[in-house]
Amino acid sequence: MSKLTKITGRITAIITLSIIAFFFFMTILGKNESFSYAENRRLADVPELSVSGLYDGSDVEKVGNYITDHFAGRKTLLSAQTRLQAELSEQIVNGIYIGKDRLLDAEVSLRTPATVSSDIFNRFAEKYDGTVYFAAIPSSSGVYGDLLQARGISRSDGQQISAFYDFLSSKIRKIDAYNILKMLNENYIYYRTDTKWTTYGAYCVYKTVIQKLGFLPALYDKYSISHITDNFRGNLYRKVLSAQITPDIIDIYNYTDGAAVISCEKTTKSGNTIETELYDFDKLDSSDMYSVFLGDPAPLIKIKTSVKNDKKLLVIKDSYANCFVPFLIQHYSEIAVVSPEDMQKELSEYVNVNDYGQTLFLFGIENLGNRANLENIIERN
Amino acid sequence: MVYSSLLYIYGFLPISLLLYYLTPRKCREAMILLLSMLFCGMISLYFLIFISAYTLINYLCIKLILRFRESDKLSAIPLVFGTVFDLLALFAFRTEYFTWLHRLIKAPEGFYPVGISFFVLSAIGTLVDAYKKRLSCECSIMRFSLYIMFFPKLIMGPLLRYGSFSKLFDSRKSSLSGIGIGMTVFVKGLAKKVIIADNLYMLYRSVQSSNFDEISAVTAWLGVTSYIFCLYFTLSGVADMGTGIAYCFGIRLPQSFNYPLLSSRIKYFAARWQSQVVQWLRRYITKPLYNSCEKKWLRETIFIFGWSLFGFWYTFNLNGIAFGALMGSFIVIEARLREKKIMELTGVFYTFLVVILCSVFLSGSSLSYSVKYFLIMIGGNGSIADTQAFYLMKSYIVLILLAMYASTDLFRNMMIRSGKKKLKIAVNIASPITTALLLVVCTALISYSGSSEMLLLRL
Repeated sequence: MSKLTKITGRITAIITLSIIAFFFFMTILGKNESFSYAENRRLADVPELSVSGLYDGSDVEKVGNYITDHFAGRKTLLSAQTRLQAELSEQIVNGIYIGKDRLLDAEVSLRTPATVSSDIFNRFAEKYDGTVYFAAIPSSSGVYGDLLQARGISRSDGQQISAFYDFLSSKIRKIDAYNILKMLNENYIYYRTDTKWTTYGAYCVYKTVIQKLGFLPALYDKYSISHITDNFRGNLYRKVLSAQITPDIIDIYNYTDGAAVISCEKTTKSGNTIETELYDFDKLDSSDMYSVFLGDPAPLIKIKTSVKNDKKLLVIKDSYANCFVPFLIQHYSEIAVVSPEDMQKELSEYVNVNDYGQTLFLFGIENLGNRANLENIIERN
Repeated sequence: MVYSSLLYIYGFLPISLLLYYLTPRKCREAMILLLSMLFCGMISLYFLIFISAYTLINYLCIKLILRFRESDKLSAIPLVFGTVFDLLALFAFRTEYFTWLHRLIKAPEGFYPVGISFFVLSAIGTLVDAYKKRLSCECSIMRFSLYIMFFPKLIMGPLLRYGSFSKLFDSRKSSLSGIGIGMTVFVKGLAKKVIIADNLYMLYRSVQSSNFDEISAVTAWLGVTSYIFCLYFTLSGVADMGTGIAYCFGIRLPQSFNYPLLSSRIKYFAARWQSQVVQWLRRYITKPLYNSCEKKWLRETIFIFGWSLFGFWYTFNLNGIAFGALMGSFIVIEARLREKKIMELTGVFYTFLVVILCSVFLSGSSLSYSVKYFLIMIGGNGSIADTQAFYLMKSYIVLILLAMYASTDLFRNMMIRSGKKKLKIAVNIASPITTALLLVVCTALISYSGSSEMLLLRL
């Protein structure tokens, strides 16, 4: 070994070992946070080691996850990864497509197809006396999928929705939200950094939905619209922390001359009933601004309005509907909003479904493949 | 645990280096064994128990062979027993036909002994060497356990004979500059894996997930090219990471890959691709067969058979055999035509074509699938290129060119041949900086999931 290589070797050793030591100590000595604000998720807890966990290796995996979550400079490294990866390959990082002006979920084809849970809704409709409506909402990849044409997912959401509708029984009236949204995709109907639709997107579908339910839609110019934030960053952003995309605007539509909410009772996950509002503006200071609509997730929200028509609607939904529900209060005296993924017990423990003359299912197609979340709405036996 | 994970690079690695260098020289070998056992234990305790039991049984067989060395017949009993046991272990975990055996030994769900393809061959080789009285050194339980479990070579080899491993171990020299060189090799391997292989894998997967009745010829070419490059960068990347770590402990393991992909002859490709495994097959299987037959065509058949075994070792299915048989046949054909002189560039071109053709079979899930895929590559779907092909081409062209350059020995040759002092100094200044930079870049690239576990083939 020549002298030169020896010196180079030593320098390399010192530099690399100091980098490793630096991250090692920063990670160990760093603050132990349990929640990541930027990623809006709980970070892994310090794993408790057990004999059985060590035996099959799952504990070491947990230690790995813990270190990954609490790694020094994770946020910076993550956004660096996004930049690097986008240069190296397709504009796809951690399964997210990073477009010029929006993020899209690029792994749509890996989702469990919605058809696996269609029988749940059929069984619900079978037992139910009123009329059932279903609106399956595409995700942003479905509506803006043309950007991802070469990956063959441009049609997937539309196809998935129609395949899913084919499996639903004829008792369920299906609402084609996909083509409405697809047609309007020049407008700001989907968030740039989230898979979900904007309030405007929800309004466009509301117009069709409410006609099917038997009412005239409220006109757009009756609403006063307030931009409550222009700094919203959604679920897609959280996986890549890419600063290139402009943060989103959240709008609230207020029908000043119309009916008002008289009471809004929320049954929490623990079973308590509390009085809340349709909007929880405190959430604007949290990491999950979208929760401004309907506040913290809860199995049941019962909304009573000043409308005097004795019409009652049951909405069974996922988070897509959170910005949709406020449009409905102009038409019903009572609306029960049920969120199956948050339910701890069966549906009958919360509401008597036959008190409601109409039921609207409103789900994002991306969430319909998750059968376990939905099964609560039918009786188990 | 894989080498390319945060837990390993920033947890296991620094701690094990520290412990090793704090241990007095006399006890360092025991320390490495302890660290290797810790590494196995971190994969899972069951794996540690499994590999310890495996080591012990093989060690006992070797000892028995050595005890009965005077009698060929008597010492054949432990040899046969050991070999059958080893092969059973290999087949039990690499094929699907032995789930009853998994239940019998109470393996946890989804248990796979990492590196089994390597350590089984190591053990069989040592058994045969002991029987043929070719063991060049004393076989101690500590050394033998290290031979099987030594963590830098556990996952991806290189496959060494017990004697050469033992010699490498005795001649270990540790120095700070050694650690530096080791880290350079480690980071090089990490970069191969994380920067190139993982991204090529995305290309491979996006071709794989397309509808096969529609994809164009160019797309199919992209798919198989990305596969073979991805395979090379994964295997050699992981092997380099291991070699680098071993170097940090002062042990100089040989390279498994010597820039095979863009060789100018198929022969050279064959000699440079995972050479220790090919050598193992020659030493223990094909060479004894060679000696028993004189005819040229018979020898060539044995040669092709050897390569089929090599292919089989990769995948444990018919496709692997087809890959090996094709590769072997092409080498034989090339050898017969060798009188004709050809240009180097033409050589690179036809070698690469042959490698691509063979890897269509290596990558496929069944023979008919591979044949169909090959037909698509020559335009069977009626389209040469479509929008998908252009899109993928545009997205990945930089990466593919980078991968091509990195898989040639152009840079290394430039380094060796250049006598200019200035260039040497420049490279020596650039090297630590590049290494540090690559380490940080790779850390960033694995920061989301914490590790990059894609191995393409489970060996």
